[in-house]
This record gives sequence, C-alpha cells and structure tokens, in this order.
Amino acid sequence: MIALLQMQATPPDGTGGSFLIFVAVLFAVAVFFYIFKPSRTEHAVEKTRLSFLYERKEQTFENLRDLNFEYKAGKLSDADFSSMRDSMEQEAANILAEIEQIEHDTGIRQEVTA
Amino acid sequence: MRIAPKMLHRWAMLLLFASALLLVGASGDRTGQRFDRLGHNLMCECGCGQVLLECNHVGCSTSEQMRQELKLSMARGDSDEVVLAGFVAKYGPAVLSAPTTTGFNRVAWIMPVVIFLAALGAAVVVIRTWKRRAPRPASDPVGAPEELDEFRRRAREETKL
Amino acid sequence: MPQLGSFTLLLGLALSVYAFVAGLFAIVRNDDRLSETARRAGIAVFLAVTAASALLVYAAFTNDFSVDYIRQHSNRALPGAYKFAALWSGQEGSLLFWCWLLATYGLILRLRHKVDTRLVAHASVVISAVQIFFLLLVNFAAHPFALGTGTIPADGNGLNPLLQYPEMVIHPPMLYLGYVGMTVPFCFALAALIMKYPGEKWIHITRRWTMVGWLFLTCGIFLGSYWAYKVLGWGGWWGWDPVENASLLPWLTGTAFLHSVMMQEKRGMMKMWNMWLIFSTFLLAIFGTFLTRSGVVSSVHAFAESDIGPYFVWFLALTFATCAFFFWRNRSHLESEHKLESLVSRESSFLFNNVLLLVATFAVLWGTLFPVLSEWVTGHKVTVGPPFFNKVNIPIALFLLLLTALGPLLAWRKTSAESIRKNFMVPAIIAVAVAVALAAGGMKPWVDISYFYALMTIMLSVLVAATIGSEFIRGGLVIARHNSSNVFHGMYLLTRRNTRRYGGYIVHLGVIVTMIGFAGVAFYQNTEQELSFGDKMSIGPYTLVCRSYTQDDKPNYSSEWAILDIFKNGKQIDTMYPEQRFYKASGQPATIVANRSTIMEDLYLVYTGKNPENGRPIIKAHLNPLVWWIWAGAHLILVGTIIALIPNMQAKSRKQSPPDKPRSLSDDVAERRAPVEAGTD
Repeated sequence: MIALLQMQATPPDGTGGSFLIFVAVLFAVAVFFYIFKPSRTEHAVEKTRLSFLYERKEQTFENLRDLNFEYKAGKLSDADFSSMRDSMEQEAANILAEIEQIEHDTGIRQEVTA
Repeated sequence: MRIAPKMLHRWAMLLLFASALLLVGASGDRTGQRFDRLGHNLMCECGCGQVLLECNHVGCSTSEQMRQELKLSMARGDSDEVVLAGFVAKYGPAVLSAPTTTGFNRVAWIMPVVIFLAALGAAVVVIRTWKRRAPRPASDPVGAPEELDEFRRRAREETKL
Repeated sequence: MPQLGSFTLLLGLALSVYAFVAGLFAIVRNDDRLSETARRAGIAVFLAVTAASALLVYAAFTNDFSVDYIRQHSNRALPGAYKFAALWSGQEGSLLFWCWLLATYGLILRLRHKVDTRLVAHASVVISAVQIFFLLLVNFAAHPFALGTGTIPADGNGLNPLLQYPEMVIHPPMLYLGYVGMTVPFCFALAALIMKYPGEKWIHITRRWTMVGWLFLTCGIFLGSYWAYKVLGWGGWWGWDPVENASLLPWLTGTAFLHSVMMQEKRGMMKMWNMWLIFSTFLLAIFGTFLTRSGVVSSVHAFAESDIGPYFVWFLALTFATCAFFFWRNRSHLESEHKLESLVSRESSFLFNNVLLLVATFAVLWGTLFPVLSEWVTGHKVTVGPPFFNKVNIPIALFLLLLTALGPLLAWRKTSAESIRKNFMVPAIIAVAVAVALAAGGMKPWVDISYFYALMTIMLSVLVAATIGSEFIRGGLVIARHNSSNVFHGMYLLTRRNTRRYGGYIVHLGVIVTMIGFAGVAFYQNTEQELSFGDKMSIGPYTLVCRSYTQDDKPNYSSEWAILDIFKNGKQIDTMYPEQRFYKASGQPATIVANRSTIMEDLYLVYTGKNPENGRPIIKAHLNPLVWWIWAGAHLILVGTIIALIPNMQAKSRKQSPPDKPRSLSDDVAERRAPVEAGTD
C-alpha cells in the first residue's frame, strides 16, 4: 500500500511529499496498533433458554396489561375479555413454570459458567 | 360478532357505489380548464422532464412554442384526441405525460390493478390460514395444573392496571 | 493532499475487508479475540473514511482545483457553507459521503456492541460487506480525489445554482442518512436470520433503527419537496420524478415494516414477511441510488451519466441472492406462534395496511420503470408522468386514510362490534358534517374529479383526527380514573407510558395535516403578466402593484428583481421581491421565488425574466391554497416520531421484574430491558 501511495504521490515539491507519506504512515501505524492492541474482550455467549423465557414473560405480561387497558377503554365485550385473558394467562403461566423449573433444575450459579 | 362483518360489508358496498356514481358524474369538463387539462397531458420537450405547463426554466423557447401550438390546435376546434395525436405525430409518443390506454401501454394501467387485486386475494388467503392455524406456544406446559394456577394468579396480580 | 485522501480511502477499504474476513472467521471459530480485532477494524474504517471526507472538504476550502471533483463542483467565490455542501453535490463526493455515513452508523453499532455481543458481531460482518462495496466504488469507479487533466485552472466551474440554497445544504444529508440508515436494520435482520436468533429481541433493536432511518428519510423527502417548491419555481412540490420516486420506495416499505413489526413483537406473527420487508427496504434504497446515478431513467435531477451502474446491479443481485439463500436455509426458524382470533382486530388492519402500502410501492416502481420496459418491448419510449401516478396512488392513499381512521378503534385479537359502532359513530358524524359543509361552501365533488378527491381527503382526514382524538380522550380517562387525576394528565401519562403507540398517533395526525395540504392542489391557480412601473395584476383576492424593478452585481452572481406591493381588500399587506440570478462561474440562471405563506394559502411569485422586446419584467403569480399544512404536518410527523423513540416510562404500580439473576447475560440485562418494555404496542 505504501508503494502504491508513492506511485500516486508525485507531489509538486519534494518536502510536501515526504511529509504526506509521514502522516499517512503514522495514521496507518496508529490504526493497526489500535486494532491489535491486546485488551479485555467481550465474551460472546449463546443466548440461554432462560433469558429467552424472561423476554417472553415480559412480552406476555405486557400484552396482558394492554388487554386490561383495552377492556377498560371499552373495546372488548366481557365474554371476549375473559376468554382472551384466560388464554393469555395460561400462556404466561406456562412460561413462568418453565422459568421456575429451569432455575430449580440447574441452579442459578451454574448459569454463570454456562 | 355475527353482525360486524355484515355491517362492514354493507358499508363498503355503499361507499363503492357512492364513489362510482361520483366518478361517473365527475367526467364533465369546464371549457376554461381545457387548456390546463390538455397542457398537463403533455410534456415539455426541451429536456427538462417537466409537464408542459410546469416547465418554467428561464428562457425556455420550446415550452412557449409548444403552448402556442396547443392553443392553435384548440382554436381550430380539434377534439382532445386530435390535439394530442397532433403532438404525438410531431414529437413522438413520449410527449404524452402518461401512457395511453391502447396497445402495450394498457399494461401500464392494468398491472397496478392486477397487483392490487392479487394482493387483496393473498391477504384473504393469509387471514384464512391464520384463523385455522394451530398456535405454536413459546413454552410447553410443564408441571401440574394446580401448580400452574399459582403462576396464573401471579400473572394476573402483576398485570393489574 | 489529494494523495493523502486516496491513501485514506484505500486504507478504509483494507480495514473493511479485514473487518469482514476476520469477523466471519471469528464467528465460525467462535474466537473472541479475533472478533474484537474485527470490531476495532470496523471502528478504524470510520476514522479512515472521516479523514478522507475531511480532506475532500479541505480541498474545497483551499480551492485545490488540481482535484477534478473540486474543479467541477466549486469555485473561489462560492460561500463557505456551499463549499462544505460540495462534498455531496456530485457523484464521487456523494458516494464518499455515503461511505462516511455508513461508517458512522457502523461506528455506533460497534460501540453499542454490549447490547448483544453475538448479534452485533454478525451484524457488523454484514455492514462491513456493504461498506466494502461502497469503498470499492469510490476507490475504483468514482474516485473523488482523481486529479484533473491538463493545467490546473485558476477557478472552478462552480456549484450548480439550483443547489445553492440553504435547504439544499441540509436536504441531501437527511436523505442519505435515511437511505444509509436503512442499512442498519437490514444488517440486524440478516444477522438474526443467519444465527437463528432466539426470540424477538433483535426486532426491538431493528425497529428502533428503522424508526431512526425512517425519520431521516421522511425529513429528507419533505426537505426535498420544500426545496423543489421554494427553488425550482414551478409552483409545485412533488413531480413524480424518478429520483423523487426512488426516495419514496424505501419509505413506503419502511412504513409498512414499522406497522407489521408490531405483529411480530406482540403476537409472534408475520416473521417471514417482516424479514422480507426489511430486505426490500434496503434493496430499494440501493436500487434508488442506482436509478439516480446510472442514467437508466431520465430525470430532472439525476447525476451525470456514469458507468457505475453495473456495479450496483451486481451488488443488488448478490445481496438478493444472499438474503434468499439464508431465508431458504433458516425459514423454519420464522414460523408463526399465534393464530388470528378475529377478522375485526388490529392484526387484520395491519395486514391490509401492508397490502395497500406494498401496492403503492409497486405502482410507483412500476411507473418509474415502465418507460424502460416499454422501450424494451415496443422499441419506443413513453413518458409516465404525474397524471399516471396521481390516478393510481390517490385512491390507494384514500383507502389508507380510511384504515388509519379505523385502526385505533380496533383492539388486538378481537374487538366487539358494539364498541366499534359506539366509538365510530361520533367521528363519522363529524367527518360527514365537515364534508357536507365544504360541499355547500363550493367544493362540489361532482364538478371535477380533483374536487371529489380533495373532498374525500379532507373528510377522511377529519375522520382520522376524530378517532385519534377520541382514542386519546378514552385512554386518558382510563388513566385519570385510575390515578384520580384529570383527563389531560391522564393523556400525558398515557403517552409517556406507551410512547410508541401515542407517538405513532401523533405521526398519523401529522400525516392527515399533510394530506389536507395535498388536497389544496385541486384549487391551485396561476397567472402570468408583464408588469411595468405602476402596473397592476390580480390573482384571487390579491392585487399586485409593481413599485419598481432593479438589479445588482455580487461576486458569485448578478441579479435582477421586482419590488411588488401586495394589496388585499384594498389594503396594502406586504411588499414582495421575486428575483432572478445569474451565476457567473456556471453561467446558469436561477430564480429566487418570493412566497407569502399563510395558513389558508400561499402567494407565490416568480420573476420569469424580461420581455426581450420592451425590457419589462414578466411576473408569474401562483395562488396555492393550504401548502402551509404540508410543512406543518411534516413538523408534526417529526415530533411524533421523536416521541415514539423515547423509551417508555414505567407505571408506578408496576412491579420491577424479574429479580436480576446473575446470569451470563447480566451485563446487558439493563440495556436489554429498555427496548423490551418500549415495545408494548
């Protein structure tokens, strides 16, 4: 790349040219140092089933809150509301149960090393 | 729940009829607007890519000349078709600001309608499949039903408004 | 200095390639150390491209006419702001600017990698690939630092006068921010698909990024039409030009995505559809760039024809193939989780919204490309101009307005017919009453089709406003009852707690205000007249009296203008100065429109030049009703989108959940929760 630069750089005056090359090299060296400098790296982990379930729990709860709100705003009939609430609560309960089970089975501490 | 689709349907039909009637009624033309209307059916040929009556760049002689031609043709008492055909004969088919409804140009008008109908049909099919579909829950039930009751109670408690 | 610029561009390319290759290997071999170097290389790309952009701007400011690009797009007398704008005024510079924006988005993405390290690692490989493409372009196809041939001239050719307006300094960056911004959701979507990301968190991230891109794109489109209105001097603000259409295409699919994404977040539905909506939005953004720059279609403001077209075709094909491949391989991951309970639900309204937006996208794309198709099939070119697009798109827009009115009344899953009837009755009566009043007031829909459309637009807009208003009041009352406060406080809390839904409603209000502005088109009128000293002309309720005309000479341009006194009902209300300039460096004339904008109408005056026979100035006057509403609506859309981007406030009664477990993901739990809770619509 430096060679390529020198080919391109046929500066009008010699001093300006060597200054430019100096700046370019300095910039490149700084960049390479930045990239390969050893440092603390973030450990990329696979997402666990547990954290997925927590996400889902949050969403299901949010949907339930929203259902309550829409009901109070008068958009749902009583029958629709109670049947939908039942099915959504069932969904939430399943998620909560699985969370409980995983946490019980594995123990929270093990998760850290997983 | 029975009534709603029926009602929506009735409303939609009413709306359709009303707009169709209005569209038929709206086809009349005021004489004073004829120049304006025809002028918007033509493009300026100076290369500006604008509608004839909207070409405004300074010192454009082409648009001025074309407007005069339009006025002349209208003054001769030519029908709309003859006026436009005259321009097509002189400047080529690209002088019209929209595709005609003849020949291959018909495809330009038909396709959006076809796509609209196809998309609508697809949406109906999709809705039907969605209604039939068996839900695929994120989490399968584990544990005893009475245990789940406790979780259900917790869910209701936490999501009270 | 140009040599240094070339060097930084090459360096940027090398770093992008490294970020791509190393990132890829790091993912395959699960190597954290390598992944970190790839991330840092991505950050370094930003430094290199920033340096290159800065050097080009430096060349513009130092009048370095040895660089061909500066020679073509600047001159010594050009004011500073426009020298800065020279960066995006031409093909090569704007591609460099594109690279820089992409590198900036890449920087933000990589700095925020703790949101989800693995997902971001995948996404940054994708963004590196896009970056490589654009850096290849500036390095080998459209080099901004290419040196001019022959002797270095004393002055440059100057910037196109049409671009020498303040709006033009800000319009392209906004549009590009939007275009390039659509790359980020694309990267996340493709990344999530490739890694079969479990759950919908990626969609929360993607949705926010799409909103950001959408916001900029919207601003860019509105600024563009504002510029067209203020500068081009033809009295209109949208011409269905291929370049305008190109910006509208990703906007339409992006809008569709922002609606249908809620289906996925809330119900786990439409996953495949959403994936393709993001893919299409990105592909259309690139396709728009291709249209603008390749000379495939003729346009008022396309860039000079160039040979970069094939590069874009290959890139589009490759991108499409990549998307299709991974979609095919991992499609089972995108299966739906819920069924549709009822036709009368928010879900089905979103589906129809998507149908309409996609049909509009198709119609615009089809109309834009039909001349090319026609030439290919029949051998001669035809023009597809405003009449086509208006005829096809206005009915679609009206149906969309109707859906916008109905949407808020529908609850998720199922809505009772009783509640729709109850909630729809009052808005419908208000809307019909307004329509009847307008028809009685002279807007007779049977006289002209444009009157019919205008009336329908205003009626449906009122309907939308009424349903949204009632939705705010109803929700406000629920909260007020619960907190025992008043309805206004309730409405405020409502918006704070669900910024996306109520911010979205504000965006809808902005849209209808804009629509009312569009409806004014039916009543535009104009007249042209020669005006000598003391001459009068009249348009609508206004009378224009020519007080004087004069001229001036400045370093960058010479100009002449008229001084007109404006009278309304016999009283002088204003003095206006329509002007014409002649730019010296480029040898091109330009008009400076004088516009007097009120909430009801714009009086828009153009100095069209002098009659060559008697030297008298010719003034063209336009009377354009309701244009003010277009720009007012744009501001409202802006405000609404910003509100929607603010994270939700928690209700006090709500418990904090879950108790933070020291999980392996504990680092990002805090950040993770914010988007999850924001996504409650």
